Amino acid sequence: MIEAFRDAWALFGDSWLAAWLVALLLSVIGVFVVVRDQIFVGAAIAQASTLGIALGLCLGSEWSSEGSFFRSDSFLSIVAVLFAVATALVTARGGAARFESHEAITGFIFLLGGSGALLVIAHSPHGLDDVQRLLASSGIGATRRDVFVLALLCATTLAFVAWRRRELLLFAIDPATARALGVRRRADLMAAAWLGLALGLSMRVSGMLYAFGCLVLPALIAKSLCRAALPMFVAAPLIAVVASMAAAWLGHAGDFNQAQVAVALLCGLLAAAWGGRALRGR
Amino acid sequence: MAPFDAELLLSCRDLVAGHGRTAVLRDVTLQVRAGEFWFLLGTNATGKSTLLATLLGVLPPLRGVAGYGPGSGCAELGYVPQRCELAQNLPTTAHELVALGLVGLPLSRAERDERVADALGQVGLREQAHRSYWSMSGGQRQRVIVARALARRPRLLCVDEPMSHLDLVTERALLELFARRNREEGLAIVYVSHDVAVAAALATHVALVHHGGLEAGPADALLDAAKLEQAYGAPVPVAPIPGFERTRPRLLPIGGAS
Repeated sequence: MIEAFRDAWALFGDSWLAAWLVALLLSVIGVFVVVRDQIFVGAAIAQASTLGIALGLCLGSEWSSEGSFFRSDSFLSIVAVLFAVATALVTARGGAARFESHEAITGFIFLLGGSGALLVIAHSPHGLDDVQRLLASSGIGATRRDVFVLALLCATTLAFVAWRRRELLLFAIDPATARALGVRRRADLMAAAWLGLALGLSMRVSGMLYAFGCLVLPALIAKSLCRAALPMFVAAPLIAVVASMAAAWLGHAGDFNQAQVAVALLCGLLAAAWGGRALRGR
Repeated sequence: MAPFDAELLLSCRDLVAGHGRTAVLRDVTLQVRAGEFWFLLGTNATGKSTLLATLLGVLPPLRGVAGYGPGSGCAELGYVPQRCELAQNLPTTAHELVALGLVGLPLSRAERDERVADALGQVGLREQAHRSYWSMSGGQRQRVIVARALARRPRLLCVDEPMSHLDLVTERALLELFARRNREEGLAIVYVSHDVAVAAALATHVALVHHGGLEAGPADALLDAAKLEQAYGAPVPVAPIPGFERTRPRLLPIGGAS
């Protein structure tokens, strides 16, 4: 079985690497999201990113010729990231300005992204399939360039988190005190932009189910297992990467989609962690 | 150029403070120096917390200037916010939360641990350092937040109505702690409250926040019946608190009660 997995590396190696890097990247950022109790923001950003990709597909097929930049993967990655970053900034800004609650804004964006993505692409022969595949993470398709960009994002994120983990945690738990103690007032927008960038890029590579799953599930599992918040920054990525590797192997062995296996595996782990916590609490 | 004033810790001039584009307080001028114990007094929703947040850089000023004195900065600040709402069941301990208050200070791990233990000791929670925050009572949690501010060994302590979750014994004990640090170590304190009796017992200076403005000065000059009635819109009796005078401190142990 391991031999078959190794033999398939030439064909699926980049996709597996990309999936593991997505798991690593989003699980670290997910700790910040879970600690701030803004899980639904991740879903809204992913959904908005899907709308961006749908618009990109529509633009490419309707208004540009074969081989043009507007039909390339790079263009789709750019619109996915742009929509994700814009959504992250709007939710952060809207909540901070007390225009409306975070929940109301993210709910609106989630529904707009979901309905818009399907409507925009409804009459396109292949577009609808593409969007549905993206929503269900039916295929992780990654190029060597995707792997390189994700590795760069991972390295930057891990280095920053290792360097500034206490500031990050204080900012997530108690933003007013963090600002009073010298954390920049714009940190909120910078964090939102980084979340948008990472989630937008991951969405394009791995689809919504996998990206959103890797964002919240490992952090929630770590939250149930850890006795303090800082170790979550170590536990969550470890859980995500191990689950993602196991999913690649199980998916390949059983001919399942690895993204869906990974999310199901993480859901099982979360249920077990919650069960364990409930037993400990008795 | 203004002369260097080492004692000046926090100040603002012609400050307009508010949320978004809405001004809550106008033309505020204030100077907090080492050793002073300021009370920001006023009824609810007059802008006391908004003013403190603007002074500390949490909110941007709508106009005017606010900031630390020439020899001061956020490294010398301890801040106790009105609320610290953690995500439900976030795993954390008293030790971890207090240690987070040390962000931005170049400390070794040993120094950090020593400061955390000392701060938790000051609020009577040294033995509870590794206990889960969620297994603590509301009063103990509030004391952890106070310890987080004290761990920085600040020259300036800003406290925003911290007593809402506390029973009377713990409230008194914390006030005694603040008063002692102010009196013996010259710790400057800015304390947001609407409790005039406590201010009368402890304040060296008072800022009455009312009608979109601020009246600031020595406590003796401002804590009189006419000015308080103007600020609160009704007569305010200032009853002395027995055994709690500035000149005769009586330290209460902080311990079992939360």
